[in-house]
Amino acid sequence: MFYGLLFQQYAKRQLSSELSRAQVENLHSQLNQFRTALVRFASTHRESIRSDPSFRHAFQQMCSSIGVDPLAGPRKGGWWAELLGLGDWQYELGVQIVDVCVSTRERNGGLIEMSELVRLVSKLRGVGEGGITEDDVVRSIKTLQPLGAGYEVVEIDGCQMVRSVVKALDEDQTVILSIAREQGGRVIEDHLIQRKRWTRDRARAALENMLLRDGMCWLDAQDEKSGRAEIVYRKCD
Amino acid sequence: MSLSTHTTISGFLLPSIHSAPPFFTEQPNPTTQSIATEQWIRLILSYARHRKLFVLRVEDAETTDGDWEEILRNDRINRKVLPGHLSNFMKVMVERNLAGYEPPRQMRSVLVYWRLPEEWAEVLYDWVVSSGQLSTILTFYDITDPPIESPLTNIPIPLLRKAIAILGKTGRSQLIAIADGEGVRFLPRSK
Repeated sequence: MFYGLLFQQYAKRQLSSELSRAQVENLHSQLNQFRTALVRFASTHRESIRSDPSFRHAFQQMCSSIGVDPLAGPRKGGWWAELLGLGDWQYELGVQIVDVCVSTRERNGGLIEMSELVRLVSKLRGVGEGGITEDDVVRSIKTLQPLGAGYEVVEIDGCQMVRSVVKALDEDQTVILSIAREQGGRVIEDHLIQRKRWTRDRARAALENMLLRDGMCWLDAQDEKSGRAEIVYRKCD
Repeated sequence: MSLSTHTTISGFLLPSIHSAPPFFTEQPNPTTQSIATEQWIRLILSYARHRKLFVLRVEDAETTDGDWEEILRNDRINRKVLPGHLSNFMKVMVERNLAGYEPPRQMRSVLVYWRLPEEWAEVLYDWVVSSGQLSTILTFYDITDPPIESPLTNIPIPLLRKAIAILGKTGRSQLIAIADGEGVRFLPRSK
């Protein structure tokens, strides 16, 4: 009787551990299946993912919907990234973005239109339009974040721009940039006074700061009407 | 502001920055100004090369119909380079040995070195060798106005002198006094 009970308990435990082992095994095999499927997917579509922007976008959307970050993982770059080479691709794109931002900084004061950036990066890569998308650029800029270089996507009056200077745009500068957009790049003090009801001092100070301190705009002293206009940047199409 | 390149009547392709109004204003921000100056110097040198222009004067920014009008003015956007602005470019060019004040000790006129004096020296020597005039005594006029047009046709005498002096340093030229002034003899390369 006593032995019998012990045996019974033993048998129960045995059974439960067998059950959970079976579950674990089942899970393992499921995981293996999933992994094989992913590996197969990754190896079959590796080229498409790297070369076709719309496919890459769909792939990234799929990843984010199932909670998988194609770049994250325990190892360097994660095994996803290793399988796809997407990590390297993304970093490589990041380097090219930095290249374009730095080399155009003296022309645009560290603020470049997204479309222009995409165009120049595509040119650098030697691929035609559509080779990379704004989406890819945004993603790559995120991978640059740990470097603390201050790369950021900002929206000015509905136009996406990439800022590569650590300086934050203050509110007045954002207003000036959006007026510049409307006016084809040209801003004069009077615009700011009439349209935004700024005082002349405020308008002048904001423009002077952009001109002298930040080097974000060029002065045009031969403007027909005002004799002085600040040309901020090219129109964002 | 839509910027685009433009081809002038003389067939010179102006860069798109030439259609940006502020390009014609001296920039108060030193960094911006140095970028603009860089672009202007490149433009001046390439235009000089295109038209084989040697002399640039501050007055070129004041007159119309001058040799440099196509780059110093942009009538499509109603902008022009002002004389003081131009004289700054000239100053920077002289500092970098891309031009030389001519005559010396004034700052209103420069010789533009779209070929450096050292390069002119080689062009000169090559021409002498290929036209079989080694060891012959040549007048400056023989060089600046040869019967068959050469790369040296119309080269200003001060620049020619510089080139001859450079060849002299390696024993490849010799200035000689002749009846009506000066002549030069070019010698084979010493071994």
